[in-house]
Amino acid sequence: MTQNAVTTVHDAAPAGPRDVLLQRRAERAVRVEPRGRREHTARERAEMLLDAGTFVEMTPMRSSGGAGSGVVAGWGLVEGRPVVVASHDAAVASGAIGPVLAEGVMKAQRLAIERGYPIVYVNDSGGARIHDGIFALHGCGGIFKLNVEAQQVVPQISVIVGPCAGAAAYSPALTDWTIMVREQGHMFLTGPEIVRAATGEDATAEAIGGADMHAIESGVAHLAVDSEAEALDAARRLLSFLPSHKGGAQNVQDARPADEVAAQALPHLVPEKSSIVFDMHELLDGVLDAGDRLELMPDHGRSMLTVLGRLDGRPVGVVANQPAARGGILDAISAVKAARFVEFCSRFGLPVVTFVDVPGFLPGTVEERRGVITHGAKMLKAYAEATSPVLTVVVRKAYGGAYIAMGASSLGADASWAWASSEIAVMGPGGAVALLHRRALQASDDPAELRDRLAAEYRENVARPYLAAEAGIVDDVILPEETRSTMVETLRMLTHEAGHRG
Amino acid sequence: MAEVRAEIVGNVWKLLVAEGDAVSAGDTLAVLESMKMEIPVHAPVTGVVGHVPVAEGQIVQEGDVVVVIEGSSTDA
Repeated sequence: MTQNAVTTVHDAAPAGPRDVLLQRRAERAVRVEPRGRREHTARERAEMLLDAGTFVEMTPMRSSGGAGSGVVAGWGLVEGRPVVVASHDAAVASGAIGPVLAEGVMKAQRLAIERGYPIVYVNDSGGARIHDGIFALHGCGGIFKLNVEAQQVVPQISVIVGPCAGAAAYSPALTDWTIMVREQGHMFLTGPEIVRAATGEDATAEAIGGADMHAIESGVAHLAVDSEAEALDAARRLLSFLPSHKGGAQNVQDARPADEVAAQALPHLVPEKSSIVFDMHELLDGVLDAGDRLELMPDHGRSMLTVLGRLDGRPVGVVANQPAARGGILDAISAVKAARFVEFCSRFGLPVVTFVDVPGFLPGTVEERRGVITHGAKMLKAYAEATSPVLTVVVRKAYGGAYIAMGASSLGADASWAWASSEIAVMGPGGAVALLHRRALQASDDPAELRDRLAAEYRENVARPYLAAEAGIVDDVILPEETRSTMVETLRMLTHEAGHRG
Repeated sequence: MAEVRAEIVGNVWKLLVAEGDAVSAGDTLAVLESMKMEIPVHAPVTGVVGHVPVAEGQIVQEGDVVVVIEGSSTDA
């Protein structure tokens, strides 16, 4: 017996340091198995984001009570450029944030901030870990503090692949862009059960914090996609337009001409009659470089487009009114959308390229109650504060306060142009005539005829862009087909000192 | 059934369909006038026009139903 026992112990003994380590690693691989509807493990998500074989995990052995830290954090490359990633591990306490998980996220955040690399957070967390009490909250607060610190240093992207509840929901809101997976990602301060207990409201998780709700209505999410792979691919595409850090080199690529068909259609794209809508995307196709483009917040505040694209190979942020949605009006929601985008572009040195065809701010009680004054002012502030090049083109209508808000030269645009057929005026011809010729119209036998005639005169004599050009309010009047080359020349001049032209 | 709603406050300038008309996704059902813009209301689905709760000249608020499309392809 004794002899046998010794033999058994001896058989187990070859488990030397090498075997122990291999076993530990194997256990860790088991730990990160996905649960529920989720498609991939925390580690697989980090690997999917990064170029194949480049992921290096930081402190893989870090653990809380032997279960793991709850986050897979590390770094790797995206198109050859370093990126830091922190991927919640829902296999450990459902990704709930305790002090050890928070420590792992913060370690990744510090690496990103200190080394100047973008950070991508893959979020899948039920919120603060209640068992850890106040220590969990302390950890969450620490993540938020570094989120804010990182804002002034590196791009931050949040990908929401699972629940992101309570305290966990605030971290994405402190990052630059949030991408949600439909039916899988949820963001809310309180889930359905607590909502029901607190107020009696009966609502599904999808209604309280689903991807479509946030991408269409609340604006909390900036992209909604159908799968984890699509979400991580969108994060890669987003990074392709951004420098690694504030003040870093722009990711300039070889310039590509605009789509040939769209460029040829440009002179005839915008209907002469200012009340007829058209699709601003077609105008962008005719001016910007052909190739990848990423529209952010496509379903929220749709009368305004915010698009990352390239001009002369250089990443630019495009702000444009979209006449094909709600007539292209400005309102509280679209103003906040544009302001946020302009502020982001400026912070990371992306030129802001603005195309204007705006009938004005939507008037009325609904908008005033939403605080359109405060929200519209955010747009003025964003343009006025912008430190990256700002180039503005009026392609049709630019009236009133909305004209100023769309990156007017008075707010500091580096260059602005107006198409020959455009109208720039303090208000639209109809409204202006009603005010300026009120008595004549009242006295007229045929006020409708007089109004139309005066409006036509106003359009030709007052609203044409030559008045603005003569006054130096726009730099020049140009033709649609001259837009791209004019903007490219100016952009080259404005970005010359960066010295990064390909 | 698909309820097609006004995307902006405005005046129903033109109604281009009536109850019983067959429509295809993308067809213009009505044109709203708002901010001196002619804002088309498009059919989101293919189907047959059911109830039309508005009349030309009527003011609609954002979110008001302009046209109801029955038997739409999404019902199939």
